[in-house]
Amino acid sequence: MAGKEKKVKLQGAVRKVDKKVYLKRYWQLYALLALPLIYLLVFKYIPMIYVQIAFKKYMLNKSVWAMPLAKKNGFEYYIKAFNDRDFINALRNTLLLNLKDLIFGFPAPIIFALILNELPFKGFKKVVQTIAYMPHFLSWVIIGSLSLQLFAQNTGMVNMLIKNLGGESIPFIAESSHWVRNYIGWGIWQSFGWNSIVYLAAIAGISPDLYEAASMDGAGRFQKMWHITLPGLKPTIVVLLIMNLGYIMGGGMERPMAMYNNLVMDKADVIATYVYRVGIKGLQFSLTTAVGLFQSVIGVILILGANFISRKLGERGIW
Amino acid sequence: MKKKILSILLACSMVASLAACDGGDGGEDTGDVSAVQESKAEEAKKAGADFENGKFKETKKIVVEIYDRGNDGGSDPENNDYTEYIKKGMLEDHNVEVTFKKVPRWTEVDEINNLLAAGTAPDVCVTYSYPTIQTYANMGGVIDLAPYVEQYKNDLPNLWNWLGDTNINWDKDPKTGNLWCVEAKLAVSNRVLTFVRQDWLDKLNMKAPTTKAEFEKMLVAFKDNASTLLGADADKMVPYSVSYDVGWRAATLIESFLDPKMSDKEFYVNGFDDRKLTENGTKEGVRLLNKWYNMGLMWNDFAQYGSGDTTEDDMMKAGFVGAFTHNWDYPYRNGDDSINANLQRNVGANAKFVAIDPFEDKNGTHTKFVSGPIDRKVFFPATNTEPLASLLYLDWISAPEHIQYLQIGEEGVTHTVTSDGAIAIQPATGNAIMNSGMNIDYTITVNGLKLTSEELTNKSRALNYPGIPAEDVMNSHKIANTDLRVGKNVNVGAIEAEEGVGDTLSQKRDIAYDKAVVASTADFDKVWDEELKNYLSAGGQAIIDERTKKWEEFFGSSDMLP
Repeated sequence: MAGKEKKVKLQGAVRKVDKKVYLKRYWQLYALLALPLIYLLVFKYIPMIYVQIAFKKYMLNKSVWAMPLAKKNGFEYYIKAFNDRDFINALRNTLLLNLKDLIFGFPAPIIFALILNELPFKGFKKVVQTIAYMPHFLSWVIIGSLSLQLFAQNTGMVNMLIKNLGGESIPFIAESSHWVRNYIGWGIWQSFGWNSIVYLAAIAGISPDLYEAASMDGAGRFQKMWHITLPGLKPTIVVLLIMNLGYIMGGGMERPMAMYNNLVMDKADVIATYVYRVGIKGLQFSLTTAVGLFQSVIGVILILGANFISRKLGERGIW
Repeated sequence: MKKKILSILLACSMVASLAACDGGDGGEDTGDVSAVQESKAEEAKKAGADFENGKFKETKKIVVEIYDRGNDGGSDPENNDYTEYIKKGMLEDHNVEVTFKKVPRWTEVDEINNLLAAGTAPDVCVTYSYPTIQTYANMGGVIDLAPYVEQYKNDLPNLWNWLGDTNINWDKDPKTGNLWCVEAKLAVSNRVLTFVRQDWLDKLNMKAPTTKAEFEKMLVAFKDNASTLLGADADKMVPYSVSYDVGWRAATLIESFLDPKMSDKEFYVNGFDDRKLTENGTKEGVRLLNKWYNMGLMWNDFAQYGSGDTTEDDMMKAGFVGAFTHNWDYPYRNGDDSINANLQRNVGANAKFVAIDPFEDKNGTHTKFVSGPIDRKVFFPATNTEPLASLLYLDWISAPEHIQYLQIGEEGVTHTVTSDGAIAIQPATGNAIMNSGMNIDYTITVNGLKLTSEELTNKSRALNYPGIPAEDVMNSHKIANTDLRVGKNVNVGAIEAEEGVGDTLSQKRDIAYDKAVVASTADFDKVWDEELKNYLSAGGQAIIDERTKKWEEFFGSSDMLP
């Protein structure tokens, strides 16, 4: 919608064309826009009708409108969730894992982009870039089995190497805190290359004049990086940071699911896997819809908050 | 011009897709299944009118759930020699057209959940979990079978003959009279056994162990002689192997620590979970496993591999595993791909696993607890508009000659008949391949070999596993039936606390077992108590309490069933 208004404004300003003529001329473009809009409507908005089962007792044989209200004025499942130790545990783990992902994973692509930018050989740069992108295309299931092959306590390659060198095997994936490190590490490995694309694009947009002028003034590499490249990247970093903060309560199911095992569930069970286990497998749709709704509401609050703060600090937000 | 046409086309397709979506969604929103259910009672009567001498005048259509095991090189579960046999028979005998719908074996509950929620579940569904069906029923998703099985008793002679009142009415609610499912019957109650590498025992000049102490001594001997037994692969040696599902995969060991004479009440109250986590004595069994684990006698990485992973099987097949506990016929299953067949190819002609019974209980017997003659549970979702035709289906597949055909297939293709009349199974190809042993997935009212006569069954049992010597199979069968304690039906109606917690508790149970086994010896008590508390507070205790209450309501202060 915002795009539409903007376009109209732009067009109106430039050529003062009558709306009717304008629409007649460009209706094909709007027809094209309709497809993504319909996608949003069908897959994102219509399913929201079912959000109400978070407050209702789910029935297989009734329409969602006819299901009876849950006990305690519809808040039965919220009360149940917050009394459930597993949910509290999953909530804590979701926050902790995502926070660690943010702390360790967020700077990685920036650093990588900065390093890559300093490489003088174009060909080498391209090769490195491509290699770094590749893990992004691996599914978490594959990464999970890679992790098992490499880091299993006895049969994993790394531990076999350590033992053959005379060391003690390390429980990389069999002990909770090691597992968390392993989990964060694979996350960085998988995404730093891909995420650096945005930063590289932003770096490419910085005027070379600035670098030239700095060189004339006698600035070295690190000084240029610090005073030109990084400030140039700042708006991009802020926008991405805001978006990432929005995900801090979210996160997909595949990654923990493909990587966890029974020994580390105390730190590995997140909301997504909790919802899958209790809701889809345990058939408690109302309970898990309640959890999902709670998660989304917090996510929205976080994004709005981050956006607000960023604007207060004088940066551009998303809105 | 081109652009214009293209955009018109695009716009049209969008409108069409929007309309389609709206239609589908609208239907889901307004389609009230309860209305369908009401009209169903009338339809049942109508069906009765349309039904004469076991046959419908008009062809009825039903859809039946079938497990998809995704076997390499298996046959299409929806379309093979056996589905054809059933389809043809049902059409001829009852004028019912059967179609099969495959559901992945290892995620079947998730899949059925989704199908039920979408209103597209098969008419005949099958699952192993009664609480799941109870949950469906509470959501109004299941047909009450009680009136149907009685009303049409005369039309269902095979079903009543085979399952009997015991299995048909096993889950009938004593108060409301509701019957949400019928229980399939176990023809053989063999459960879990321990296996050991016969050739390793021979090599080390040892006898098969008959007590826990001897078993432990044997494991130590395996470990100490790893280089004799495995040569260059000595470091891959696993004297005793379990998986993450310790409660199943060490069942005979754990059960040997329970009281063989425990009361029916105690067994029932702790019996929500057949892995016996909360029984008295289980802890000591796990303590022994923990000791072995810390002595380096077990597979270190077992808890890191999840359900369906073949790593452990591959180690057995490669010959690295000395002993393990599993289903009573585990090393014999799958013909050419059986563990023993692989062992012979990979290690040598005399390499094989044989069954042993080394875990003595406090009376010196080898008590094995089995849950009763019940197996899978068959239910009809509320969307089933042909309950009579569906019951006739169950009746048809319960007929002795149909069971026999499905279990052994065609002579010359899947089996041969030996000189004394016994049936010997042989590997099949193409559409004759059975995706599950004895086609257990098609014979949903039976589990275990059941041929038309008991004599034939007994004669043939040993020949049911192509390539496996008859005496090995008989030995397993004999041990599996030693000191059986068969559970009885404690029918006290629905236990509310059991609904929806099955998966959560199964996982907590596995976590408790796994963590306790890998704990350091000093931490064992702490870890076990903590994890058990975790299990109990997640719903385990509520189940125990409700079961106790219900027991007392029905049986008073008596500890044993009448």
